[in-house]
Amino acid sequence: MLDDTVYDALKQIVGSDNISKEPAILDGYAWQWCNEVENTLKGKDPSRFGQRPDAVLLPCSTEEVQAIVELCNSHDVKYKALSTGQGAWAGVTTERAIQIDLRRMNRILKIDPDNMYAVIEPYVTNAQLQSELIKYGLIHNAQGGGPQTSPLASHTSFVGPSFTSAHTGYSGRNLLGAEWIVPTGEVLQVGSFDHTGEWFTGDGPGFSLRGVFRGAYGAYGGLGVFTKCAIRLFTLPLPKGWEWKMTGTIPDHEWNLPEYWKMYVLNFPDWEKFEDAFYEVNDHNVSMMAMASSAEGLASMFTNTKNGALDAIFAGLLMHTKRYFVVMLTAHTEREFNYRTKLIQAIMVKHDGEELIEKGIVTPMPMHYAEGLRNSLGNHAFRFTSCFQSTHGGLDTIAMSVKICQINLPIKQKYIEKRVIGDDRGEGMWITGYEGGHLAHAEIPTVYDPASPESCRGYAYYQDECNKADIEQALGIPFFIVGDDVHDYYGPNVMNYQNWLRKIKAAFDPNEASDPGHYVSAKK
Amino acid sequence: MTLDEMERMMDSCVRCSKCKFLPGIMVRSKEFSSICPSIDRFDFHAYSGGGRVIMANALHKGRLEFTEEMLDILYKCTNCGACEVVCKFFYELEPNEIIHELKVAAVEAGVGPMPNHKKFIEQVESVHNPYGEPTDKRSSWLTDDIELDENSDTIFFAGCTASYRREEIASASVRVLNAAKEGFKMLGPDEYCCGSPVYRVGDKKRALEIMKDNVEKFKAQGVKRIITSCSGCYNMLKVEYPRFVETDFEVVHTSQLMESLISEGRLKLTNEVPLKVTYHDPCHLGRMAEPYEPWEGELVEVLTLVFMADPPKPIRRGANGVYDAPRNVLKQIPGIELVEMERIREYAYCCGAGAGVKAQYPDFALWTSGKRIDEAESTGASALVSTCPFCSTNFTDQLKEREEPMEFYDLTELVLKSIGGSE
Repeated sequence: MLDDTVYDALKQIVGSDNISKEPAILDGYAWQWCNEVENTLKGKDPSRFGQRPDAVLLPCSTEEVQAIVELCNSHDVKYKALSTGQGAWAGVTTERAIQIDLRRMNRILKIDPDNMYAVIEPYVTNAQLQSELIKYGLIHNAQGGGPQTSPLASHTSFVGPSFTSAHTGYSGRNLLGAEWIVPTGEVLQVGSFDHTGEWFTGDGPGFSLRGVFRGAYGAYGGLGVFTKCAIRLFTLPLPKGWEWKMTGTIPDHEWNLPEYWKMYVLNFPDWEKFEDAFYEVNDHNVSMMAMASSAEGLASMFTNTKNGALDAIFAGLLMHTKRYFVVMLTAHTEREFNYRTKLIQAIMVKHDGEELIEKGIVTPMPMHYAEGLRNSLGNHAFRFTSCFQSTHGGLDTIAMSVKICQINLPIKQKYIEKRVIGDDRGEGMWITGYEGGHLAHAEIPTVYDPASPESCRGYAYYQDECNKADIEQALGIPFFIVGDDVHDYYGPNVMNYQNWLRKIKAAFDPNEASDPGHYVSAKK
Repeated sequence: MTLDEMERMMDSCVRCSKCKFLPGIMVRSKEFSSICPSIDRFDFHAYSGGGRVIMANALHKGRLEFTEEMLDILYKCTNCGACEVVCKFFYELEPNEIIHELKVAAVEAGVGPMPNHKKFIEQVESVHNPYGEPTDKRSSWLTDDIELDENSDTIFFAGCTASYRREEIASASVRVLNAAKEGFKMLGPDEYCCGSPVYRVGDKKRALEIMKDNVEKFKAQGVKRIITSCSGCYNMLKVEYPRFVETDFEVVHTSQLMESLISEGRLKLTNEVPLKVTYHDPCHLGRMAEPYEPWEGELVEVLTLVFMADPPKPIRRGANGVYDAPRNVLKQIPGIELVEMERIREYAYCCGAGAGVKAQYPDFALWTSGKRIDEAESTGASALVSTCPFCSTNFTDQLKEREEPMEFYDLTELVLKSIGGSE
């Protein structure tokens, strides 16, 4: 527990309204999705309650965050910052640790439409940012976590592919600059910010420490705090004067679908043809969205209720879908649209595909286009049991993504037979292309019952087996790779990268004040 | 349902924070993207719908005991239901119901409600209104020129707030009814509080007694239809009463009735009312006005771990609130230009007054109404219109503190102007 002098000193920094050690408040941070998985794998009960922080603080500025971090360093207190904070990795993992809730730092500091970047604070959400960017005909990569989550968290500290990754890449690749409070409390402005006063490119001409503070997968908040970041923006083809309009009543809304936007569901007879077609579509770089899933995924994406999704599944989606991917074309002009449409159709024909929307097998509503753009389509998977999580998550090639899905199928089926995870025939998966070429991200979403200890445990063991398959079958590193034990498990198979992580941690965090629980500990 | 019965729902919260914001696709600007006044004002996660679900679950699982601060967090919620609408976009959780049940648990544990709530509950018990006003003054707003039909089986139920604080709404309502020759009578001093303020702070036991007493009185008076201009009363009588007591009366809000009367040609909107207005959906007439539909059936496991209700279970998402009637009335008033705010219908931002917040936390209530009026002003409207005396009170309190404030009208007042009744 924190002694009163430390607590009072923290209170001096943020003011009495912005700090609490009330258990009812602290438990709001102890409870996290996926704690049930981590608790199981640690031999504990599968509870969503994890470590309760000793205090929660709500700083409102870089200076306040810096002062908190410095005080933690001088009083042997660990800290963990979060923004919207969904997931076990957002919480603290040890005793004598405080939670820094960045909710009050929620400004969009700059939108530069000419140079196509935005500067944001931690608690700006994807939906908020996109709603402002659309006024300029721009979008950012809004990670699949959803419209209510923080693009800063994803860009600086995580991996964030999205439904628009075919056009916008993934978050970690789009970080142009950051204001980083290093674990000991110094403030570093990295990227070209430090050189020119503008946030333009993450790799210079000033210092670039992206590889150090986030690398490929991010430090999950275990290496200091990010208080601002600059992110890359992308064009969004919209007619002049178009404004976002959503009408109707929950759950069926109507969206004013812009001209020259069209979705296709291209279905192929087997994995081989799917893979070839997916390569070609991504290689031509013509789609806003290019992503694949299962029949169950298709049903959940293009319906608005659980019953709607189940009805769609049983009405024939299982029968009609083989290996499909969804393409959303967007174009500025009729000519561009016609070209892209012809190209997609040619690729479909070349690889013996069929188009399921035209055949009436599936019918995306205009609001689903909007949900794709805002990245809430993935959240539809929560409708089945109010819970799902993904395994694997490699960022590799399209071929590797297909391989992940194929190898995972029997693993998943085994746990479905045990009745501990949801039945998607083992087929549930999600692949998105990114950066217009051969690159793709694959994850395997799996539903389980959060209210059933048996199901939570079952999912945890399934996840563990998926992780082992990643090593044994060389499927790449999963994106939920957190903590010493997991890094130590993977590291020896991947050039002992964990040793380098520990060197970074030791160099930047000599007091190990930045909670290492979901990153790596230097002292181990 | 008790907290015990809600445990499955509580265990299902993924702490996604969707309950703090409009659904992603509904967001049109950063400024008006949030949905919960409590988290907007107090910031700690515990002040959100999901945060309070976690709090309830922690209490239920024995991790927490009620403390003064916990009660403070709990009662700084207007139970506006917005968190639940957003949550149900994706999940089968009912955060607003859980929060209410936590308030019930607080009362049953002897620690709730809050001091000012206890005071108004005592006043409801002694003089049948939360304001402590004399019973015989309840209809003092009713002037001699209002025509009552003592033989009617329809009553106009003014409600405590319109009777004692927003008399202009009660007065405009009955004048509109008279103009349409819609027969009604009133209970006068025998009109008692509907029980809303008691129920909303978790004193379920006393609220049930009030409901039973009122229903008995309605029966004794031969009441078959209740007209009210109060969204809070409408919600209680229409939505909550049938959950707990047997009712055999119809409940109609003045906005619904006026819509019908206009379409039937019984109300002639002839006078020009040159105003650019925006409309605020009261929570209790909007998303919370959707009735609870009883369901009996079974959950069938159609895929492993995935259950489907058989027969289909109605989901109370807030889709079936009273949204169109007030708008349709406004649109038919000559001279009125209706411009909408960004957060409307089931996604409307609460005025900030409900569930005892106005009584116990007046500063917070005013803060919230200020946020809503900011949004109303952003439309360019010169007047804010609503259909709830309690929203009206909180808005007018806020407007008194602003320079160059916009005007506020209850819908009945504008209709009265248009039919020439206010001249």
